[in-house]
Amino acid sequence: MIVNSIEIMFGGQAGDGSLTTGDLIAGVFKRMGLEVYTYKDFPSRIRGGHTNYVIRAQQRENYGMADMVDCLVAFDLEAVEAHIEEMRPGGFIIFDNTSEQIPAEIKRSDINWYEVPLAKIAKEELKAEIVRNTISLGVLGALIGMDPEVMHGEVAALWKRKGDKVVEMNVGAVIAGERYVKEQFGDRPSGYSLTKSVDGDRLLMMGNDAIAYGALVAGCRFMAGYPITPATDILEWMAKYLPRHGGVAVQAEDELAAINMTIGAAFTGVRAMTATSGPGLSLMTEAIGLAGVLEIPVVIVECARAGPSTGMPTKTEQSNLNHIIFGGHGEIPKAVISPGTVEESFYFAALALNLAEKYQMPIFLLTEQALCQSKATLPLLEFEALEIDRGKLIGHNGHTNGNGNGKVVFGEYKRFAHTEDGVSPRVIPGVDGGMHLAAGSEHNDAGVITENVKNRAKMMEKRMRKLESMREDLPKGNIFGDPSAEVAIIGWGANRGPIVEALDRLAAAGTKTRFLQMRTLWPFPEDEVRDFIKGAKHVFVVENNFTGQLDRLIRVVVGPLEYMHSVRKYNGRAFRPIEIIEPIERALSSTVLART
Amino acid sequence: MTAVLTPKDFATATPSWWCPGCGDYGVLSALKSALADLGKNPKDVAFVSGIGCSGKISGYLHSYAFHGVHGRALPVATAVKLANQELTVIAAGGDGDGYAIGAGHFVHAVRRNPDVTYIVMDNQTYGLTKGQSSPTSQTGYVTGTSPNGHPEAPMNGLVVALAAGATFLARGFSAHPKLLVELLKQAIAHKGFSIVEVESPCVTYNKINTYAWFKENTFYLDETYDPTDKVAAFKTLIDEGKMPLGVFYREDRATLEDLALKDATPVVKASLNGDLSRFASIQDQYR
Repeated sequence: MIVNSIEIMFGGQAGDGSLTTGDLIAGVFKRMGLEVYTYKDFPSRIRGGHTNYVIRAQQRENYGMADMVDCLVAFDLEAVEAHIEEMRPGGFIIFDNTSEQIPAEIKRSDINWYEVPLAKIAKEELKAEIVRNTISLGVLGALIGMDPEVMHGEVAALWKRKGDKVVEMNVGAVIAGERYVKEQFGDRPSGYSLTKSVDGDRLLMMGNDAIAYGALVAGCRFMAGYPITPATDILEWMAKYLPRHGGVAVQAEDELAAINMTIGAAFTGVRAMTATSGPGLSLMTEAIGLAGVLEIPVVIVECARAGPSTGMPTKTEQSNLNHIIFGGHGEIPKAVISPGTVEESFYFAALALNLAEKYQMPIFLLTEQALCQSKATLPLLEFEALEIDRGKLIGHNGHTNGNGNGKVVFGEYKRFAHTEDGVSPRVIPGVDGGMHLAAGSEHNDAGVITENVKNRAKMMEKRMRKLESMREDLPKGNIFGDPSAEVAIIGWGANRGPIVEALDRLAAAGTKTRFLQMRTLWPFPEDEVRDFIKGAKHVFVVENNFTGQLDRLIRVVVGPLEYMHSVRKYNGRAFRPIEIIEPIERALSSTVLART
Repeated sequence: MTAVLTPKDFATATPSWWCPGCGDYGVLSALKSALADLGKNPKDVAFVSGIGCSGKISGYLHSYAFHGVHGRALPVATAVKLANQELTVIAAGGDGDGYAIGAGHFVHAVRRNPDVTYIVMDNQTYGLTKGQSSPTSQTGYVTGTSPNGHPEAPMNGLVVALAAGATFLARGFSAHPKLLVELLKQAIAHKGFSIVEVESPCVTYNKINTYAWFKENTFYLDETYDPTDKVAAFKTLIDEGKMPLGVFYREDRATLEDLALKDATPVVKASLNGDLSRFASIQDQYR
């Protein structure tokens, strides 16, 4: 019997309700006190096309998928065909056999089959086709030994907002599913048991929501964006909440407008951000250079997806790191921070806004589809403790937003004054005496355009000096595992979850490892990486791209390391732990070079 | 700041990069006069320009000025106004900046109707890159990129703006300063998106659309013209005779700020700390 550990996949055609049902069961598991992670794998179309939604629930923390799927709820045959190979031996499939049958040749004998005419029951018994999915919850609940009272209570709670009728209908559907299992399969256990423990008052939140929420709480009052998967959720969230908090969200005509609007709002003194994904980032690159030279604080959230070009809009990848760090003409200071969990996403959005204003430069919040569109359980957020640091901002007189509230004297004030840390006091339109030109062309400390050679060199140095000044404020990486281990793993973003899981299992199998989850990717934390790999005989860099972008960066900055290995995945899906464990074990058991 | 403003209050000491005789001097000087006449305080003026000869103008106007990237002045200006509607927001660009690279933004800025004044300094050529053809160049115009004569039809930006829903539409000539000041004053005072296309000759590269050409080929709308008649505005603008100057159309319509901002307080002055209980209620939805 497997207790309180399961990975369920709902699969069907887009529009079948896999996502809704998955969300519902994720909510139920969260209310049962389990740790939940969800992973959306849907096609880039609205109706039709295979969609699946993975929900993993267990007692211990998890921020990623398991090796294999325990339970597949298949609303059609295509879902079975697509995922039968991912099924764990001993797992089980719930299949809607109303109109399709499972061909004998694909019917694996090492998994349990529960064929239920979901659509038929919905239509004939409950007279409501819409509850087909909810019936599957009843079937699932009965098969994994869930206390019916818990399931009914949670389903009722989740539908409460829609009124008594809807609650009654859905609880009825759950009961119908449970009854079918009892009648047809008896007390035949699936081999899984999910029990309620204490719900520690936690949240279940999607990464994109956490970013938007964190930004709002941290004082973001302007957002401009252009809809693009998987970043759109952030713009939609902001469009709902910003006006209620004195702010405004704009759906721009394109990404060029979106970033320029963000820059315009930030120039005016508003905490501003935009969010996009790969193709949009390409379009924004021109203006990001402008923000760099104008020393305007903007936050750019990059929700990476599979490229190049339009690539696979709804699939995950980590292939935009090079673009973010090295993209753009000319050289500007910029920083790239990257969260590894939904909880970190919230705090990093706030941090990004602070860093942007404190150092007056573009700050990238780098995330990817496997994190930003995934939901996870997390503790209550400590938003009361968030500090808003606006840096050297000279705001309106009596304007309480700025922590610099000094006066400026025209003729004396220099917008781009040379300072030790490279950051100049910033004044915003409306403040008397601060009038100046913010020029995208090279300019002097007062903002006057000039091509003077000495000025040019001094201005470049001033701007780039900020990268050194900010080091202490950038988030340090998280280190997991055994600090004395000779095998070191480095990764970032959504890979934190599967790597952490791989550590434990490698250790159990006798391989001690340590893991650095990089949270600042630029300016490159050279000392941090150097310290981390000190003493390691093997270094594995795990990332979701073909060329090993972080791996190469480490080789360039830290030095050529013949004992460095790259673990890469680029098929559009997130890593499963076994896909990290196996290459590491393979490499260690072969004749690969180790540091001597 | 003295109580009475003069154009000098909007002047900077920055030496000009424009050629002697450039039409853009006329635009700058008319703009300074218009702002002074309207009693605008330089600290409350945000001026946004793009790239090219026209883009240089932001450096010569004493205000909060922004010199961005080619063609993108209008998204910046729109956001400045949304961020702080207490500012007087003016954007300027050339025919290349506004009608070529920025054409998409142009149409959408017009459509949104933010309270922004947009000055298009039209010289029918690309000056700063040494005289190539522009979207408003006449067919047959011979340049480095059109050695056999420009094969395209010129774009009529004001017709595009009118079609996109512009609420104030005017055209002036940089060598007619008094009338230009008057047009700019009306445009700045207009609540909503106002576009003033100023014919601003390029003395170095454009040997066709010269000062003499404009004097010969333009005329001012007279008092019988009704600037509230949209159909008349279209007819006047598409007429193939001489180029008309004056105010073609004006309309009162809710601005972007009227519709997008729920609060009278400018966004830039909104509380950042917010109301903790309201932030908590958002969190409750995820419990």
